[in-house]
Amino acid sequence: MRAGDKQVRTTQRMKGTFISPDGSSGSRLGARITGALLRYIAAIAIVAAALWLSLALQAPFGNPFWFLFALAVISSTWLLGKGPGWAAVALSSAMGLYFFVPPYRGWTINLRDLPFFATFVSCQVITSWLISWRGDWEAALRHARDELEVRVEERTAELKAANDALLYRISEQKRAEEALQAARAELARVARITTVGELTASIAHEVNQPLAAVVANADACVAWLALPAPNLEEARAAANRAVEGATRASGVIARIRSLIHKAEPQRGPVQLNQLIDETIAIVSGQASRSQVAVHLELAPDLPEVPGDRIQLQQVILNLAVNGIEAMAPVSSRPRRLSIRSSFDRDRREVHVLVQDNGVGVGGDAMTRVFEPFFTTRTQGIGMGLPISRSIIEAHGGRLWVQSEVDRGSVFQFTLPAAEGRTA
Amino acid sequence: MKEQDPTVFIVDDDREVRLGLESLIRSVGLRAAIFASADEFMAAPRPDAPACLILDVRMPGQSGLDLQRELRGAGIHIPIVFLTGHGDIPMTVRAMKEGAMEFLTKPVRGQDLLDAVQKAIARDRTARQKRAELSELRARFDSLTPRETEVLNLVVAGLLNKQIADELGTSELTIKTHRAHVMEKTRADSLAHLVRMTETLKRSTAR
Repeated sequence: MRAGDKQVRTTQRMKGTFISPDGSSGSRLGARITGALLRYIAAIAIVAAALWLSLALQAPFGNPFWFLFALAVISSTWLLGKGPGWAAVALSSAMGLYFFVPPYRGWTINLRDLPFFATFVSCQVITSWLISWRGDWEAALRHARDELEVRVEERTAELKAANDALLYRISEQKRAEEALQAARAELARVARITTVGELTASIAHEVNQPLAAVVANADACVAWLALPAPNLEEARAAANRAVEGATRASGVIARIRSLIHKAEPQRGPVQLNQLIDETIAIVSGQASRSQVAVHLELAPDLPEVPGDRIQLQQVILNLAVNGIEAMAPVSSRPRRLSIRSSFDRDRREVHVLVQDNGVGVGGDAMTRVFEPFFTTRTQGIGMGLPISRSIIEAHGGRLWVQSEVDRGSVFQFTLPAAEGRTA
Repeated sequence: MKEQDPTVFIVDDDREVRLGLESLIRSVGLRAAIFASADEFMAAPRPDAPACLILDVRMPGQSGLDLQRELRGAGIHIPIVFLTGHGDIPMTVRAMKEGAMEFLTKPVRGQDLLDAVQKAIARDRTARQKRAELSELRARFDSLTPRETEVLNLVVAGLLNKQIADELGTSELTIKTHRAHVMEKTRADSLAHLVRMTETLKRSTAR
């Protein structure tokens, strides 16, 4: 459509240059006819002026000034175009025959004067033809130049538009990427907090339990010492239990702090076995309450991986909690969560497997578990697995799932091992 | 009948909490018995003595609230002092409705717990006494013959001997004899005493 428009515009411009030098391109038919008529009238007027001048000069001087007709033809052809030029040729030939070829003021011609008149007419014709040929040539040239200019202009505009679009798209994409990055960071944080939120009950219990032990034992210790005959043996035993409880409480708090700490990703060497141990300690309360036996099988030769400790812990936590929750409806078999780590020496990859014997997911759901906001649970926002996958992929690894309905799921991920260490 | 020493039962899944509470209870001279789960507690023999139960709400397996319901269902009246990590209101309301003595939040101050325990034991002691008295009273009234029971009902309804005799179609003298037996068997000091005892029994049966 646009190309068609251009074609029309180019044609009109071409016609305008060719037929109406005044530049009234796209003029209507009437205006064009009027223009042509005016040019013919102008050509006649020029020839008439030449005739008048010739006759006026011939009267006092006697010489026939017929070459003024040549001037009329030249100027008509040059200024008014081909048609008026030929009209000037025809008219001036006729006037020459009538006024300047004997017998004067008559349409007849003597045989003797024929060569003279023929030469006169020939000169007129050749002059007009040369001039119009040159005019055509120039017009063609001008037209070609104009067309070229138009094309250049159009092409420039096209290129500029394309460039603008490209720049816009680039900035748009950049903005989108920034937004995506921000959203992902925020989601990771929210999910981390949500995960923590889901675990709050168990954490409160985890912290309170040792604290309750501390308080009860410390009270008991004081009571034994306050007796008229203090019982040091009982007091010491109670004090020891208070210390044990306090140590347990501080351990829980340290784990929670590292879990909910909002931090930018920090890359450092991470010992995955240790991380798995710590993470399992966090969910052990939930596991025992859900009657889930946690089984760890950690390769002793596991090299460190470069990565963000907290993010990787979140992945393990997500997978472990998912596994525990997937087993909640299962009552026909012992609930068992297995976590295995291993090292692939050839690929230099650390491999972690989290297996449950829970409800599992079917074909359609399995392809969707990594989609944001997809969840099979009534609680939960469905961000755990997508975020886990994006974290693993950001670390240069892969996270995938195999699952069978009513048999359980196996989540596995790999992470590239740290350089230069074979452990 | 000599009363046995009161016992405090402690059910908590956390070993250190359990031992700490036990130590605290023993330090004030009370007897303590500890259990890691509700099942363990249910399986253990309970001495016939005033007692109270310190119970953790949140435990793996049977929860504290489940145990409370089970005890009530089995007609075991033992005051319960609940301990909870974070007691939400619905949970507290439920426990109180089921007759919990106290609802304390962990970590609990030793003195608060001891106060609650002492109060619970005192209440249990009173309740046991009342139950004992009531069963003794019931035994006395159960020893009445059907005829004596008929006479008793009409006496406490405020009828005179003559009216009772008319009602039962017998002589006033016979009624007087029945009435003397009733007063003797129920160990009533007066007519007013007899009426009070009957009311007490009625109320306990109605409940």
